[in-house]
Amino acid sequence: MFEKVLVANRGEIAVRIIRACKELNIRTVAVYSEIDANSMHVQMADEAICIGKAASSESYLRIDRIISAAEIADVDAIHPGYGFLSENAHFAEVCESCNIRFIGPQPRAMNALSDKAVSRALAKKAGVDTPPGSEGIVEKEQDALAVAKRIGYPVMIKAVAGGGGRGMRIAHNDISLIKGYHTARTEAEKAFGNSGVYIEKYIENPHHIEIQILGDNKGKIIHLGERDCSIQRRNQKLIEESPSPLLEHKFKKLRDKIGKAAVKIAEAARYTNAGTVEFIVDDHGNYYFLEVNKRIQVEHPVTEEVTGIDLVKAQIEIAMGEPLKYSQGDIEIKGHAIECRINAEDPFDDFRPSPGRIEMYYQPGGRGIRMETHAYAGYTIPPTYDSMIGKLIVTGKDRREAIDRMNRALNEFLITGVKTTISFQQAIMQDPNFRRGVYSTSFVEQLLGGARRELIEEKA
Amino acid sequence: MDLKDIKAIIDLMKKNSITEFELEQQDSKLRLKRGLNGGSSASHGDETVPMVPSQPMAAPVISPPIAPPAANTGEIDIKSPMIGTFYRSPSPESASYVDVGSEVNPETVVSIIEAMKVMNEIKAEVKGVVTQVLVENGKPVEFGQPLFKVRPT
Repeated sequence: MFEKVLVANRGEIAVRIIRACKELNIRTVAVYSEIDANSMHVQMADEAICIGKAASSESYLRIDRIISAAEIADVDAIHPGYGFLSENAHFAEVCESCNIRFIGPQPRAMNALSDKAVSRALAKKAGVDTPPGSEGIVEKEQDALAVAKRIGYPVMIKAVAGGGGRGMRIAHNDISLIKGYHTARTEAEKAFGNSGVYIEKYIENPHHIEIQILGDNKGKIIHLGERDCSIQRRNQKLIEESPSPLLEHKFKKLRDKIGKAAVKIAEAARYTNAGTVEFIVDDHGNYYFLEVNKRIQVEHPVTEEVTGIDLVKAQIEIAMGEPLKYSQGDIEIKGHAIECRINAEDPFDDFRPSPGRIEMYYQPGGRGIRMETHAYAGYTIPPTYDSMIGKLIVTGKDRREAIDRMNRALNEFLITGVKTTISFQQAIMQDPNFRRGVYSTSFVEQLLGGARRELIEEKA
Repeated sequence: MDLKDIKAIIDLMKKNSITEFELEQQDSKLRLKRGLNGGSSASHGDETVPMVPSQPMAAPVISPPIAPPAANTGEIDIKSPMIGTFYRSPSPESASYVDVGSEVNPETVVSIIEAMKVMNEIKAEVKGVVTQVLVENGKPVEFGQPLFKVRPT
């Protein structure tokens, strides 16, 4: 039983984790940078320790400072949230060596899925299809050209250490491939400290379908259904929903197949705790493994709402050594849930980030509404981190009710002082293709680039 | 006034449950204060007022995150550059590195902060005189926490 947990994160996910700990009667310790002194997670935790200046490299990414804080606060475990150090195997190892439990996959599972190329190889061995592409890292320009010739254009150049939608480039011919190959390597070195890239066939109009998995420390792994995250802009997710409208009707049988494939891959990696296995599904129902996200994800509430399972609590319980409470047969998907990410960005100005002080804040309420946020009236969004204000998750008895309810909720939402993407989300909810459930990852580009440019007028 | 008189006054105070007595005479002033449990002491009443429990929404931070500027007094804070346990001397038996009144220059070691079993020497980084020691020996400190106040010279 954990007495005290340190939350090595900030913003809405830190609040989420603190809430789960409170419900489990676990004391919480927040860490924060100087600029986050008035942040909600600092207010909510039982204790709070300042760990550095605003820059993430000086605070939330500082393993030494987080461990020092964990030591002086005498915590039993650390929850890393998402982003930051959540998929850093070295950090997980340091925690274990300091006798602090890391609430996430064990280091050996992280290492088995250490980068995207390694994960691809593991999936292949587990008998799951991956998009045609290079065997591993592409070392030389000539190799890149050879791979492209073999699999055919268009292709994707991807950073092996990339994540969160970053470090990807499309090439449609030899010339753009050579240029993209070198640029991608330089960018990857700068962004991730690892210049390794691999090449994959670019599947057009793909659907991004991901499977939530949970594994205990005894080797039992189950999946909790899929989330459809195809609504993205520049590889950043905007909307996620469960179940996927693609896997109804024609492709209903795929749900089970893809779920089983996800569990197979997780078992091959001897995965523990919470994770997400990402797949690309094309219009013909072919599905290909992309990568494993070895952390709790931003959009986890969508799965929680349709399965009734608290994933963050499950993470903590698994880390405490408890066996999984459920078997695959116990998992039922009921109803329909949609999440809209609300960011401090101006959709009328190419989604330029809009940090600053939130003047008025009124969030939607009523039946089937769940808001995950750290924002409040008077809170100043710092410019140093991501632009997420919060996540609006709506549940209905079916997809139609969920969409109508989301519409109703977005209409109620009032945030002044900063620009938000609320109006853009409203435009998506009212788009006929989205409502029909007919969309792929090209949806947002088409919406923005098409004739229908008018977005709903911003509220005063 | 001699000791006999003072003892008599103390007895009277006890007998009559008087907590404070002050007498001013031409060439002297006497002030006596009593502890409520009967012991005569120079301190306040016996009951320690319990620490006000922190309000539900406010986290008792280990120390104030941002130190108010010492601008008006002209003093500078020496702030902690790290998280750990604060020690005033190199070992439990040695004397403190500095005390109130100590002169320091930028290279002077003023304290040790221990983190993960490593002892880190903290330098003053300022030239002046220590006017306040802000943290107790052996207490945890966080990043940016003021450790000493120094009057620069």
